[in-house]
Amino acid sequence: MTEIAGTSDKARAVLRWLFAAAFIVAVVASGLFAGLFSRAGLLYLVFGSVAAALMGFTRQEIGAAFRDAAGRGGRPDELARSAYFWEAAARNAWILGALGSAFNFALVMGGQSPGIADVSHRMIQSFIVTLYGLIMAVILLVPALKIAGLAEKAGLPGEAPSAGAARPAASPFFSVERMAGYVGFAVLLVLTALPRIRGAADVTIPPAKALLHGPAVLVVLGGAIALALFAGAGGRAWTLGFATTGLIALLTGLIQALFGFVHTNIQEIAAAIAFIVSASVFALLGLVAVAAPLEDREVMGGGRRGAGPISRMFWVLLPLLTFIFLVLTFIMVVTPMTKPG
Amino acid sequence: MSTGNTKKPEIDDLLRRALADDLPPEAEAGMRRRIARFRETKAESAPARPWGVAARAWLFRRTVWAALSILMLVAGLLLQGGKPRGPLVERIAAIKTEFASLDTTRR
Repeated sequence: MTEIAGTSDKARAVLRWLFAAAFIVAVVASGLFAGLFSRAGLLYLVFGSVAAALMGFTRQEIGAAFRDAAGRGGRPDELARSAYFWEAAARNAWILGALGSAFNFALVMGGQSPGIADVSHRMIQSFIVTLYGLIMAVILLVPALKIAGLAEKAGLPGEAPSAGAARPAASPFFSVERMAGYVGFAVLLVLTALPRIRGAADVTIPPAKALLHGPAVLVVLGGAIALALFAGAGGRAWTLGFATTGLIALLTGLIQALFGFVHTNIQEIAAAIAFIVSASVFALLGLVAVAAPLEDREVMGGGRRGAGPISRMFWVLLPLLTFIFLVLTFIMVVTPMTKPG
Repeated sequence: MSTGNTKKPEIDDLLRRALADDLPPEAEAGMRRRIARFRETKAESAPARPWGVAARAWLFRRTVWAALSILMLVAGLLLQGGKPRGPLVERIAAIKTEFASLDTTRR
């Protein structure tokens, strides 16, 4: 009897996923949102999410999370870990979406284009990656919420492995998965920067020079290291470091740009825009490649009771503000300035 | 100062007399040679080891990283305040100028 019920649950779960996939395929095939389609953006997000998952989780943990999402049902502490994996995957998709937009934005501004209309078009296209990231994050949050609910029902408050529960063996820092994740992510960023893959005609300045605005790199790295040292070791300290430095850099850039408008100084506005874009790229990169994997290992190793509320707040806030600031940056670029009479 | 110390010379004399022929001169000479050799080897290896250890300790010292990171932060903010010129800045300025000229042409 129990076996039949278990099989029907699994079949229902598989049907639900198939229905969702068919719906997405139908929407894409309908051509209704053809203007919102970016193959490069979609591939970047999918492969980036896979690489980010490998940076923070082991093969066994990823496999268990997929089995739990398919309705396997395990021990409460295992369910809690799987719920955390899906939450982390949603977080990675959201951060990667905003990172992709900022990354592409910098490359578009550094690239060669036949005209101003083409530059504007490409700038707006950069924002599509954030939209994809948001949609993917929502999709990935569904299994997270579902499995967390099951863990709660099974007697665990949807978070950490209990004190009595068997802790998983701590994975070494230089594991095969992690190395593969980092190498894959680096390759993905390099491929994304290639003009042919982005569909750009040519580059005016090399991608590395477009992304590396010296002052922004110094502020983000210096601020993140300083805050992480003062806040104490661990993933949460790095999350705080990268996120707050990123937010400070965004605000500093905006204020400088506004002063540039007051002084009608294009050079000042351009410096501020370069600072905003470059700082957001490095802050989000630090968040997804340094802070998040460290937090994931701490939670999966049983060192922490799930993600902290401050970390969760920053994971949502920084990508959102990056998106808003990129829109503001676009407006600042296209807004003409006139000298006061 | 204390009364206990007054008996010390007597005890020392007693011990010296009692243990006067405990150590044969050859053994004493051998021990002295060994101590001298040990001191020599210690003196030879001493300068190399503290250098490596000190350098590593200095590199991993928290205060060094804290000072370096704050220096980076301040340098970044100061550089940005000085309206830096760079390839991306020049390109953005060019795009913005192009947009401005487009607006003038429309008018």
